[in-house]
Amino acid sequence: MISAKLPSSIPEQAVAGKLIWQKNNCVSCHTLFGHGGYEADDLTHITDAETTEYLIDFLVEAPVMRPHKYARHPALDQIDAENLVNYLEFLNTIPTLGWPPQQEQVEDDS
Amino acid sequence: MNQSITSKQQFLAQIISRRYCLSAVCLFALQSVVALMGALDLVISDLPSPIPFEYGRAIHLGLADFWPLIGTMGMVYFFMTAELNREIHSPRLARWQYWVVMLFTLSIFGTLALRLGNGREFLEGKPIFYLGICLALTLASYNLIRTLLTDRQNITPAAATMTVGMIFLLLLLLPNTITFNNPIVDEATKFWVVHLWEEMAFELTSVGFIATFFIVSGLANRTQIEKWLYLEASLAIIGGLYGTGHHYYWIGFPAIWLILGSLVSLVEVIPVGMLVHMTYKGLKSKEIHNRREKLTLWLLLSSVFYHVTGASLLGLFLTIPWVNLYMHGTYFTSGHAHLALFGSLGFVVLAGCYYVLSQGSEPTLQEYKGGVLAVIILNIGLIIMSSALLAAGLKETYLWRILGMDFMDAHLLLNPYLILRVLGGTMFTLGDLLLSWYIFKAWRETNL
Repeated sequence: MISAKLPSSIPEQAVAGKLIWQKNNCVSCHTLFGHGGYEADDLTHITDAETTEYLIDFLVEAPVMRPHKYARHPALDQIDAENLVNYLEFLNTIPTLGWPPQQEQVEDDS
Repeated sequence: MNQSITSKQQFLAQIISRRYCLSAVCLFALQSVVALMGALDLVISDLPSPIPFEYGRAIHLGLADFWPLIGTMGMVYFFMTAELNREIHSPRLARWQYWVVMLFTLSIFGTLALRLGNGREFLEGKPIFYLGICLALTLASYNLIRTLLTDRQNITPAAATMTVGMIFLLLLLLPNTITFNNPIVDEATKFWVVHLWEEMAFELTSVGFIATFFIVSGLANRTQIEKWLYLEASLAIIGGLYGTGHHYYWIGFPAIWLILGSLVSLVEVIPVGMLVHMTYKGLKSKEIHNRREKLTLWLLLSSVFYHVTGASLLGLFLTIPWVNLYMHGTYFTSGHAHLALFGSLGFVVLAGCYYVLSQGSEPTLQEYKGGVLAVIILNIGLIIMSSALLAAGLKETYLWRILGMDFMDAHLLLNPYLILRVLGGTMFTLGDLLLSWYIFKAWRETNL
């Protein structure tokens, strides 16, 4: 019944990153494969959109979250952030059958 | 007619089931308050809170599963004895089970409030606590199986259905106590609880409860109800099991699940149709009910309504792969989830809990009217809240998924809908507290 083959074996660093993902309860706001909270962006393919350095910086130097004026995104230390981004990079390799729907990229890419 | 039920011998299991049902109602009252806080947090910037949003939401989702679970445990004990007309195998075990399930449920919420968790949606608590819940479910399953086997000649379909439901609750939770490295396996297993608990296991316990309720309260005769029960249960199992596929579309599974998931989901609708049929039969056969049964019916009919609308119709719409591709992971899913989970399961468990806790009493006309009012407020609150979420989801789908707008830019435009959701949620909370109060009163009156 279960046919959950990974496209490639999962690296140790990504496994560590998965635990960071769980420990910090990221899924309460973000989604992976569209499953999770509704308050923040889906991160399944975030590493396509943003560079590794940007993502690690974002996690370490957590910015204020829109539309809040003070509340910041939860912050991680450097190693945890690297592991987490490694996990996100791994997730990006999982085939999702054309989801999310592709559109003409109107804007973005910082 | 009805005197015969109240004057019937009361089994120990029925007394024990009261503590389960009362705890479930208390947790349900807590649920709407927690949920309202979370909804407010989303529309008020920088709202100070001792528990951060992400852990508050985790508690909300945990409560959504566990108050019905605890209520179901009580209901199943109560209606098993009512159905079989004999004591359960071990009342002592049932008492122990109560403390086990309460201890681990409260541990989950306590640790989440302290920001300790395992970060899997709907299963946010530490895995060890879920193992504890599994222990409680093992005690329940063992107790029920032994009860059935005590008198093999008299195993009724409703009793068997409820027992199988309880066993499934255990089997489906068990794999979720493991920490998986593989994110695909992790996602897939999670839906054994998120989907299969509700659409299969709880469906079985609920159907068993409804059938027994109709039979023991004399609303319908046994042959009429039992005729379809096994078929309905089998379809619920088959449809539920493979219908899980509609959660497996985009998580790295092969494309076959797109077809399997959407087609088998059609099968899931058949048992709902049969449930409606069964309820209709029960209603038609007898005109006069006492107030206690009438109030139970109000709750039950609410559940049937959401079975058809929120769960089946909306659910089917969402399982169409082309629709799901765009709407998946938007507030539309959230709206559907509220209607399906609370609407279908929540109301049925409330019906059962009310019936169990008011055993031996009859509400005054004023109490009955108050109870009905609470049910109506709950319904309106739920519909406003869910419609706001569905509307937010439609807009989000258009802006984010179709136009490709940045997520946060789109999300900020959803604010009016989220405010409307808070208003609906406030109403829901009022209805919840009012109903809980009446149930509590019924409990106190009958607590000898």
